Amino acid sequence: MKLSRRTRGAVAIAGAASIALLATACSTGGGASAEGEDITLTVTTFGTQGLEGLYEQYEADHPGITIKATNIDTGGNALTDWQTKQAAGAGLPDVQAVEEGWLSKVMQVSDSFTDLRDYGADDLSDQWVDWKVKQATDADGRIIGYGTDIGPEGLCYNGKLFEEAGLPSDREGVAALFGGEDASWEKFFEVGKAYHDKTGKAFYDQSGFVWNSMVNQLPEGYYTADGELNVEGNAELEARWALLAQGAADGLSSNQTQWDWGGGKAFTDGSFATFVCPGWMLGVVKGQVEAGGGDATTGWDFADVFPGGAANWGGAFLTVPTTSKHPKEAAELAEYLTNAQSQVAAFQAAGTFPSNVEAQADAGVTGESELTAFFNDAPVGEILGSRAEGVVAQYKGPDDSVIQEQVFGPSIQELDSGKADGPTAWQHALDLLDQLVQQ
Amino acid sequence: MTSTITPPAEAASPTPSGGAKHDRTAHRTALTTRQRLSRWDVRYSPYLYIAPFFVLFGLVGLFPLGYTFVVSLNDWNLLTGPGEWVGLENFAAELQDPLFWNSLFNTFSIFLLSAVPQLIAAIVIAAVLDQNIRAKTFWRLSVILPYVVTPVAVTLIFSNVFGEKYGLINNLLTTIGADPVMWKTETLPSHIAIATMVNWRWTGYNALILLAAMQAVPKDIHEAAAIDGAGAVRRFFSVTIPSIKPTIVFVIITATIGGLQIFTEPKLFNATSSVPGGPQRQYQTTVLYLWDLAFNRQDFGKASAVAWLLFLIIVAIGLVNFWLSRRIAGAEAKRTKRSTRRRLDAHAAARAEASALTARVGAGGVTGAMVAEPMLDDPDLDEPRPEERA
Repeated sequence: MKLSRRTRGAVAIAGAASIALLATACSTGGGASAEGEDITLTVTTFGTQGLEGLYEQYEADHPGITIKATNIDTGGNALTDWQTKQAAGAGLPDVQAVEEGWLSKVMQVSDSFTDLRDYGADDLSDQWVDWKVKQATDADGRIIGYGTDIGPEGLCYNGKLFEEAGLPSDREGVAALFGGEDASWEKFFEVGKAYHDKTGKAFYDQSGFVWNSMVNQLPEGYYTADGELNVEGNAELEARWALLAQGAADGLSSNQTQWDWGGGKAFTDGSFATFVCPGWMLGVVKGQVEAGGGDATTGWDFADVFPGGAANWGGAFLTVPTTSKHPKEAAELAEYLTNAQSQVAAFQAAGTFPSNVEAQADAGVTGESELTAFFNDAPVGEILGSRAEGVVAQYKGPDDSVIQEQVFGPSIQELDSGKADGPTAWQHALDLLDQLVQQ
Repeated sequence: MTSTITPPAEAASPTPSGGAKHDRTAHRTALTTRQRLSRWDVRYSPYLYIAPFFVLFGLVGLFPLGYTFVVSLNDWNLLTGPGEWVGLENFAAELQDPLFWNSLFNTFSIFLLSAVPQLIAAIVIAAVLDQNIRAKTFWRLSVILPYVVTPVAVTLIFSNVFGEKYGLINNLLTTIGADPVMWKTETLPSHIAIATMVNWRWTGYNALILLAAMQAVPKDIHEAAAIDGAGAVRRFFSVTIPSIKPTIVFVIITATIGGLQIFTEPKLFNATSSVPGGPQRQYQTTVLYLWDLAFNRQDFGKASAVAWLLFLIIVAIGLVNFWLSRRIAGAEAKRTKRSTRRRLDAHAAARAEASALTARVGAGGVTGAMVAEPMLDDPDLDEPRPEERA
């Protein structure tokens, strides 16, 4: 749930101008809109959401509507942008893309987003996986966003390295190795230990992503469902922390810099053999491997298994801030951009896995693509669809991201670099929690 | 002005003084529009000319400063807006927060690690450029080149070079058999790495400013010193450095202000770190800390308090700088005054001694009399002249 999840390979596509030009050309042809006035809708997205091509289509179908789109390069920058405008109370677009990682912040000011139930969200809610809709529903039951993509997590692994270590390297074999349906973290670290003993190499890149997955897949994470802080004395979290600490002490973590990985080098030089992979991360892995000088032959593959059960990391929503002058048209646009057809198009353009149930089953998603070719012909669309089953929408408290980044971040680094053992690092995290989070 | 154009007849007529005054004012109001405009022009337009700065400063400098102070007195969440009025509680809380002091320590450590070597290097570079070297413009342009590159690009490159696992420096270190340095997760190495970025960017800039000052040092002082037998090094320390002292003070003050506000380098040095400024805040400077407070922890009130504390610290340091430079200047003046007086005293003493000596010698010997003669004769020479004339 690191905010800048789409850092890599994300190129800002500033197509607004050309689209606007096209729009003016189109609008002269068709009949005028019902009110006879031209409406300009502003849209802010980030990273690679794959929506650019859809704006043109929408404008062509809706004469009188012009879309002015802005795409911000990374999720982190988009968050800063949104926060600044939200705090200033001005400058927000008609349609604002919001990341799952910001939900804890967004929900604090959920009343500054239009309740999409006023525009038919209730009738639509069946089209998404149920937990996606739950995530976008605030405490008062208002639905403030339409889901775009989701990030169900599977396990990326390097088949060649597995083979060298004498482990099964085919997808089914690997899934079975980690326990299949009953895959647990204990099993994951057990396999890792065996791998390390055999090869002397690390098993995963760094502990941060593993910890995030461990926490986010629980029914209750840093907060209880009632919004109470749930860290101190949380036996489940402590047990998982102990596993993580033992893994780091056993040398299973490669202590890489997250989101850097030596410019992709770590993905190609055999530094680690597994990697937690939400759908959108597959594109990141591909980009990193290519940046590090590798290609499909480097051996990365994608298995339909995840330790500890289903987990989700990331995904986005399209919201309509209440400052919008055309909430109805904005909601219609958001609806269009998140319907099954659009999500298939977005998946094909940017590899974002659909939250729309119908789109998940679409041949455009389950079929072959550049991504499947890269991952040893793994049916990534199918696997992700299966990984999306059973995900729970965990309650995110107001300081969730602070706890993740600033309370546990330092302690995870202590584990990875060997500065502290499990209990000490856990205590450091609790100390920081007292210091940083008002309780 | 009026008196010169007043006709003589009117001046002669016996009008009462009040009437004269009235006439005068009448004259003043009788100025043509053109004249009035020109008068206004002289009187008010200077204010108009300097107004843009002050209006802009008020808008983007003074108002935010005041507003920040108001925010700092509230429990203000970035997103949900102002909460309770808490007075100076935010300031009190920050002054007790170890993370605030940690950020101050980092700021000063990085500042010292960058400012001191930077200043020394800049003076040396400026001194070299001040010599009569070939292709002067080329060298001068070269030292300013790092300044032209945006800090973001600089940081990205240096961040890569200082990478812990795949960075150039650690690669070199491991090739020669040394242990890799943890540039991004340990305090001192990270401070040195960030100071290096700052130095790379600012040394050339400061060198050019110092070079300009050096070129303004009159050549005749150098020549006089050279004639007196001072070597190049002696001239550098006794002529160049004292002459450019005001510029050095200026460079130090700007470096201080810049150094205490350092943000980009530590922010992007390890851009993907979960905590801005290093995993355990090893290089979280004060500005980075306040950014973190505002945009990650959403505590706008405390962030504003930190901004104000930083402002006060910079003002305090500015005052200390000012006082120090005045003291140095004052001490300098005093010292020169003292040494001049000492030299004058010595000179007077020598003269007195010499005259006493001559007097003594004149009384007792021929050689002395020959030396003393003109002195003794002087009054005699002066006095008789009028008589001769008469």
